Amino acid sequence: MNPASLIPTADTLAAHWGWFQFLLMLTFPLHLFAMNAMLGTALTSFLCYLRPDRSCHDLSHELAKALPFLVAFTVNLGVAPLLFVNVLYGHLLYSSTVLMGLFWLAVIPILITAYYLAYFYDFRFKKLGNSGMYAVLVVLLLLMTVGFIFSNNMTMMITPASWVRWFSTPGGTLLNLADPTLIARYLHMMTGSLAVGGLFVAIYSSTVLKHNIAVAETGRKMGMQLFTWLTALQVLVGTWFLLTLPVEVMKRFMGNDKLDTGLLAAGILLAVGTLIAGYQRKVVAATWLTVPLVYVMSFMRDSVRNGYLTPYFDVTKVPSSVQWSPLIFFFVTLVLGIVVIVWMLSRLKYIKKAS
Amino acid sequence: MNYPIWYVPTFGGGLLIALVAIVHVFVSHFAVGGGLYLVMAERKALHEQNSSILDFVKKHTKFFLLLTMVFGGLTGVAIWFVISLIHPAATSLLIHTFVFGWAAEWVFFLVEIVALFIYFYTFGRMDDRTHQTIGWIYFGAAWMSLFLINGIIDFMLTPGSWLTNHDFWSGFFNPTFWPSLFFRSFMSFMLAGCYGFLTATFLDDEQARHKMIRYSGRWALVSLVLSVPAGWWYISALPDKARSLVGGASPTIARAATVAAFSLAALAAVVITMILLNPKKARTRVLTVIVMIAAMGYMGAFEWTREAARRPYVINEVMYSNGILQKDVERINQEGFLKNAKWVQNKEVTQVNQLEAGRELFLHQCFACHTVGGFNNDIVVRTKNMSYGAMQKYLATIHEKRYFMPPFVGNEAEMKALAAYLTAGLNKKPLTDDAATAGDRGKKLFEDNCAACHGVEVLKPEVADWSKEKIRTALDKLPTLNPAMPDYNAPAADKDAIAGYLHSLNNPGTAKEPGATLFEDNCAPCHGFDVLRPKVSSWSKTKIRTALDKLSALNPAMPDYTGSATEKDALADYMVKQAGGEK
Repeated sequence: MNPASLIPTADTLAAHWGWFQFLLMLTFPLHLFAMNAMLGTALTSFLCYLRPDRSCHDLSHELAKALPFLVAFTVNLGVAPLLFVNVLYGHLLYSSTVLMGLFWLAVIPILITAYYLAYFYDFRFKKLGNSGMYAVLVVLLLLMTVGFIFSNNMTMMITPASWVRWFSTPGGTLLNLADPTLIARYLHMMTGSLAVGGLFVAIYSSTVLKHNIAVAETGRKMGMQLFTWLTALQVLVGTWFLLTLPVEVMKRFMGNDKLDTGLLAAGILLAVGTLIAGYQRKVVAATWLTVPLVYVMSFMRDSVRNGYLTPYFDVTKVPSSVQWSPLIFFFVTLVLGIVVIVWMLSRLKYIKKAS
Repeated sequence: MNYPIWYVPTFGGGLLIALVAIVHVFVSHFAVGGGLYLVMAERKALHEQNSSILDFVKKHTKFFLLLTMVFGGLTGVAIWFVISLIHPAATSLLIHTFVFGWAAEWVFFLVEIVALFIYFYTFGRMDDRTHQTIGWIYFGAAWMSLFLINGIIDFMLTPGSWLTNHDFWSGFFNPTFWPSLFFRSFMSFMLAGCYGFLTATFLDDEQARHKMIRYSGRWALVSLVLSVPAGWWYISALPDKARSLVGGASPTIARAATVAAFSLAALAAVVITMILLNPKKARTRVLTVIVMIAAMGYMGAFEWTREAARRPYVINEVMYSNGILQKDVERINQEGFLKNAKWVQNKEVTQVNQLEAGRELFLHQCFACHTVGGFNNDIVVRTKNMSYGAMQKYLATIHEKRYFMPPFVGNEAEMKALAAYLTAGLNKKPLTDDAATAGDRGKKLFEDNCAACHGVEVLKPEVADWSKEKIRTALDKLPTLNPAMPDYNAPAADKDAIAGYLHSLNNPGTAKEPGATLFEDNCAPCHGFDVLRPKVSSWSKTKIRTALDKLSALNPAMPDYTGSATEKDALADYMVKQAGGEK
């Protein structure tokens, strides 16, 4: 059976595809930042238990308080890019979703459990004592499991050749384990996430926690160590991932496509820069280099998807029926929403220190 | 047909959607109404300078945060996950139509999160006026989420002028948008009041407890009373077909309406009792639990009714529950379903693959609502009374006879394949066309089409040694028997019926009683005689015959029988016999 014959017909777009691509590429890295911060916070909070000093313990508590916020924002900031992926690639995504329906639905109870456990860990931190270590470890593992399920869906949706398995296994129990890129891709995502998460811990410690000098210093140090070592490891994992890609996709980054090759070069340069900044424990410099690096990586990820889909689907060919007013309505809402959020956050400086 | 199907035979997708949706509906409406309740209760506490009430509001906020932010937020994502899994085609259509509505809703979701975090974590640490403003921002954002999702949900029931102009705003501000918005707003306030009731009973300060019980009671009662005219407005804005389903033509809605009526009565009664009587008694938690259950029953029944009212569509008059677009039906009927479907292995029906093709047709056209051997709308149970022949006839007019079922979409061979799968495949029934042995219809068709040239008595000895199959095959190629004979271009079911009649001329035992065939064709799809027998066993033949003239008077869900008086007589005869003889 020709896998291309299984690809559903894409629905008409409500605006030029470029708008959705722009919004996808704008919001997906925001989700990544929140997700990275969430994973890095959970990991650092866990690692603190392995070091018995007081400032580590306090840091762990501070991170426990931050964790539920980060879960909330990771979920929220994940909604927007998922919506725009639905618009551009929904017909592919829904197909692979059906194939792995059981696992896809499992994301919800896993997330609810992790989220409540994060609150439990926060509210009961003192009572939990050392067993808090296991609570936050479970939170971390559950959240990383969600990442694994997403990696499966995101790789399966771009490989229609794997879809024919549905005819023999239609119960939603398929994963994309036979895909040679899956594990490398997942580890690439997780290594990068935990590294950037380490950087977040360093930033958070140097700013929000700066009133407690010992905790701030511990957080900054641990965060930067994580960031640096994991970024160094990422050089290996990233290369492994690049080598597992199908040749025609890999060659896009090796000169066949100028833009993609430029992206890879920019990514390598930025990664080297972050490594140097990391070794020198320069939080601000590392941050300024990491933000564009995450955007570059997101664009490369998009290129990989396009490379895979070239024989099957071209998003620029999807018909559109443009209506401007809903698009304007959204942008006006977005601007107003940001204004209101900024105003609310600005009120925080007036809060009384003790309740 | 455009997408694969998540096939778990015993657990249909509809039930999963219902479970997740009902849970989310409660929490999300509570999130809206609770937002208003929190700021109003805080204002009351500040106005009265009552620290007990203020503490109560703070505790309420913590629970509210944990329930709405975590559970509410994630069950909202869950609905999206589930519908894209069960109704991918409909989800895609909705997302492509309303993407910017959804995107705006995401912004309000973000504002909600930030506002609720600040509201909770700064309780007592911020000046009162700013804290109240943050509370109002939370409520405003939560209500705007309701506003936006309400437009999209109601579009599914009443697309209105979007059907012709495909304009975003026409679809969004559709005919049921405003009544539904009012109804849902009152519902959300009612839920918050009921929840306030429950938690207020835990207040230790007696005076504060009494105050909050009365306060919450008034909330619940006023919202409840206002929700009734809003609900009425909603129903009157429905298109005729949906309104007739809501009026009782759908058995599912009839049950939901009963639940709603009882819940409403119980809710009103307990709430009024608790406000009017000494609030001390209201500390009895049983009463407050009854209030919560009744409120949920009322709301759940409404949601159930709304879902059922758009059947057989998932998006009214646009897409059927099985993902087939209404505009494509005619074309697919011409070209064939399997040829147009993407996720099938059998692209056309042959004698060899009939059952397997039937299974694929079932998967893509019926499984959206029917389980196989499961506990929800089990297709095996629903079809157990039907023969292969009766099933074909039923499928041919399924949508006309029972509006809430989508029409069968495909060509004749595909319809037969589906009938074969449902009867022979699932119920192990013989693949013989019972209609073929129906002396009555076959005779009538013979008289209409053959008797002009062939007298029965002449033909009878000629086919004496012929099997029914041989006669049936001959009817497909009459000119080969005799070049002077024209082809008989009629539906296969008609040929089956004539073959049955001709065969019965020499094999009288095979002819079926006319009433039996009529019963199988027209009644058995919904009523097995074992279920009907106790009901009609005490009825006289006249009563049965009279009832057959006006079936919809017995039950609005039942279509009137459109057959002739002779057929009704035959049916009545058969039913009397089956029920144990004339009374």
